[in-house]
Amino acid sequence: MTQTVFTVITEVDPERVGDLEQVLARIGPDLRTSDVLPLGDFETLHFASLVLARDATLPPTLIFEHNVDGSLDAWLATLVARASPALDVLYSNCIGYPAGDDGELKQAYLAAHVVRPGAYHIGATGRTRARIGQEAQLRQGIEDYVEAEMTAGRLPGDPVAIRSAIRAFVAGDPAFAWAKPNHLQAAREQLGAMWERVRPVLPLVILVPVAVVLLPLLVPLLVGWAVVLRGKELTDDVRQDPAGSGTVEALSRTEDFVAQNHLASVIPVKPGLLRAVTLPVVLYVVNLSARVLATKGTLAGIPSIHFAHWSRINGGRHLLFLSNFDGSWESYLGDFIDKGHAGLSAVWSNTVNFPRTRLLVEDGAEDGPQFRQWARAKQCPTAAWYSAYPNATMPIIDNNTAIHKGLYGAMDKEEAQAWLRRL
Amino acid sequence: MAPPALGPATGGATRPLETDDMQGLVRRAYGDLAFSRYLLLGIGEPAAARAWLGVLAGDVTTAGESADDLQAPCLNVAFTGTGLAQLGLAPDDVAALARPLREGMVTEHRSRILGDSGANAPEAWRWGGAPQSAVHVVVMVFAHTEEELNKAYLARRSVFEADGALVEVAEPIDGRLLPDPGREHFGYVDGLSQPVLRGWPHGRRSQNPSTDAQPPKWSEISPGEIVFGYEDNFGHPSEGPTVAATTDPNSWLPPWGATGRRHLGHNGTFLVLRQLAQDVAAFRGFVESAEGPDNADLVRAKLVGRWPNGAPLAGPEPTEHAALSRANDFGYHDQDQFGLRCPIGAHIRRANPRDSSKDAPDKALASTKNHRILRRGRPYGLPLVAGSTEPGEQAGAERGLVFVCLNADIERQFEFVQHTWLTNPYFAGLYDEVDPLVGGPPPAGGAFTWPAGPVRRKLTGLTSVVTVKGGAYLFLPGVRALRYLAAVQP
Repeated sequence: MTQTVFTVITEVDPERVGDLEQVLARIGPDLRTSDVLPLGDFETLHFASLVLARDATLPPTLIFEHNVDGSLDAWLATLVARASPALDVLYSNCIGYPAGDDGELKQAYLAAHVVRPGAYHIGATGRTRARIGQEAQLRQGIEDYVEAEMTAGRLPGDPVAIRSAIRAFVAGDPAFAWAKPNHLQAAREQLGAMWERVRPVLPLVILVPVAVVLLPLLVPLLVGWAVVLRGKELTDDVRQDPAGSGTVEALSRTEDFVAQNHLASVIPVKPGLLRAVTLPVVLYVVNLSARVLATKGTLAGIPSIHFAHWSRINGGRHLLFLSNFDGSWESYLGDFIDKGHAGLSAVWSNTVNFPRTRLLVEDGAEDGPQFRQWARAKQCPTAAWYSAYPNATMPIIDNNTAIHKGLYGAMDKEEAQAWLRRL
Repeated sequence: MAPPALGPATGGATRPLETDDMQGLVRRAYGDLAFSRYLLLGIGEPAAARAWLGVLAGDVTTAGESADDLQAPCLNVAFTGTGLAQLGLAPDDVAALARPLREGMVTEHRSRILGDSGANAPEAWRWGGAPQSAVHVVVMVFAHTEEELNKAYLARRSVFEADGALVEVAEPIDGRLLPDPGREHFGYVDGLSQPVLRGWPHGRRSQNPSTDAQPPKWSEISPGEIVFGYEDNFGHPSEGPTVAATTDPNSWLPPWGATGRRHLGHNGTFLVLRQLAQDVAAFRGFVESAEGPDNADLVRAKLVGRWPNGAPLAGPEPTEHAALSRANDFGYHDQDQFGLRCPIGAHIRRANPRDSSKDAPDKALASTKNHRILRRGRPYGLPLVAGSTEPGEQAGAERGLVFVCLNADIERQFEFVQHTWLTNPYFAGLYDEVDPLVGGPPPAGGAFTWPAGPVRRKLTGLTSVVTVKGGAYLFLPGVRALRYLAAVQP
């Protein structure tokens, strides 16, 4: 099934920022246990967050992040139908929110403020929240079965025979009826996944021939772009705001309670034509590579991202980044620096104070200490956060899926052994 | 300046290491000096403490002394963030200290990531946990004999106590090498996998010279990863504490770039100190009952990744134990990707995953090297001796490890190792298990995965065998920095 990633971005009534802060304090920090906005009952929601951006460079802005199964409309309808009181409490502080009980008006308000990301990554592509939970139970069931059989001395010695025994166990347990292969659905999912990979490439069918025709014109343009870029790169202000120690302390207060963490930033894009042109193009390329290449759970070799997205907001003057990831901020940034630095530099070097880059992708995020300082200084506190499976890391989710998939089809001894190593 | 590509250290131009300005602990763990004492001190009278420090600065053992010239007793000194403030460092300079040093080891967030909850909670620590036992200064004394140690200790104490310069806020910790040198209380040879600083002067004495020629591939890191002011893995001089130039009229400190500030950190490092009590009886009980007494040594080896004598399970084919007892030149990716020899969750594989990775071992090794620490700890307490009548050797007596490590960035190094590797229940794809020795309280069931064919085994019933008794983040200054601190005018 398709997952949908988007944010609802609304301007806060300047008079009511304080009220909204109080509301957020009441709602957060954990939306699983919030009694104002309990999101745990929404079976199609993976991750959500609320962030109040209060940078002096933009009007106070409420950012509501959604990562859901299914379509945007279906999700908004569900949300309005089941959480209207909470939405009222939140959005009555925002400009233009309709008063009264008309659900359709409220849904229209939210829909009108939806921002789709310019680039996004999904770790567990194609797996619904329900499926992620089922596969975790399946794995646990198999582990318990194997443990019991081993203790009783009944486990065969041969990998193929062990796999057969496990298959028989799963087939015999009605709780795992869902795990049976459904060829029609599998084919549909595969087609869907293929479409997801092909769709973003389609514009290239037109763009590439046009570019070839225009090549004589494009080359001088590109050279000009590179010259201007290089000039800016040498002179852009790269001084770091000393990451207010109090700020980092406040950020760390909500971190590292579970296996995952959340990161939000809203950063001014550098002024001028160059960045206004470069950033959307870079986001397009990053998104293209995420859609086409990063479909195996990792993004640029980073194995720990569930949902991450960049959006241009405030008329393209700010860049919003939201990420739901495994492990600590420190380990996430370490992965950025070691593995993802080129793409990250290409995107974030278009925003203010980013460590000095060379031709967009070099240096920048490779400079560990500078990049970490910049990232902390630019981070916004996450007022409230929700994860449907806070202690399931990406490698574990993928491993559970591989265990599930490995139940079916023929395997020789070596393949069966490799599959058993997943336990 | 372009940082060099990450990867096995490339050599390149770094300034020579100024060992004469570094404290000796940076270079050595004083393995020839079996007796030691860690004095946990609070500053009473700041002016008197500075005067005391002025004298001490002339007596500290430096890293410039070769093993043969070493004059015992040896002496090193380190300061907590509050200690620096108390001593008279300007408030602005205190505010500019790296966050871990300024805040100390005990904050709610740090306790979460370090695993300091339950029995390890700071509220229950013997020292360092509550403000009234705040440690400002730690003096470390190393000696050949107990008499030598006591003499040095009493002489020092009478000086700093006489004029109220310093007070002991808790009983000192007596670090003492075990009769079988190099071992810790659980019975393993400890401290084998250490990073090697590029450009470090050779000539270390060792019982086993053959291992001194370790291929740098597995262990060499940039010196700035440990000592401030030298090139780190990212190609910058690593930044230690800095102070306003106006506070240094005698120019004890070098300038820090073009910032107008001076580098207090020069030739210094951050020192992490944790007193870890070890429940040896519980550990022995577990390894002997897990798979039967005959397999106790195998269980020991699987939990740690090395046999008690130090021979690694991964690495060279484990045929000749004794010869391999200090081997450190091995990786995991090519020889033991699935942990069939050295389990994925074994202590040494968690604490230093080397090139463990599904696909890119070189990148994995380069990443690992951004998180190395230099360990300088030693055991405390007497060994547990079955049937002994000596109280200190009985099961109820406290014994453990004075864990000491050096690193330039506590968050990126010590805390990362502790949180992302050792206490992480999901480390490298594992489910709900932590480091069997120092992972903090284990999740329910106390599981340890033992990869094997055709199906993994699981040990269960592991309990917490290590309890934190105290801890502090400290700054171990260079020698000239000590002179600056002794002269600082609040």
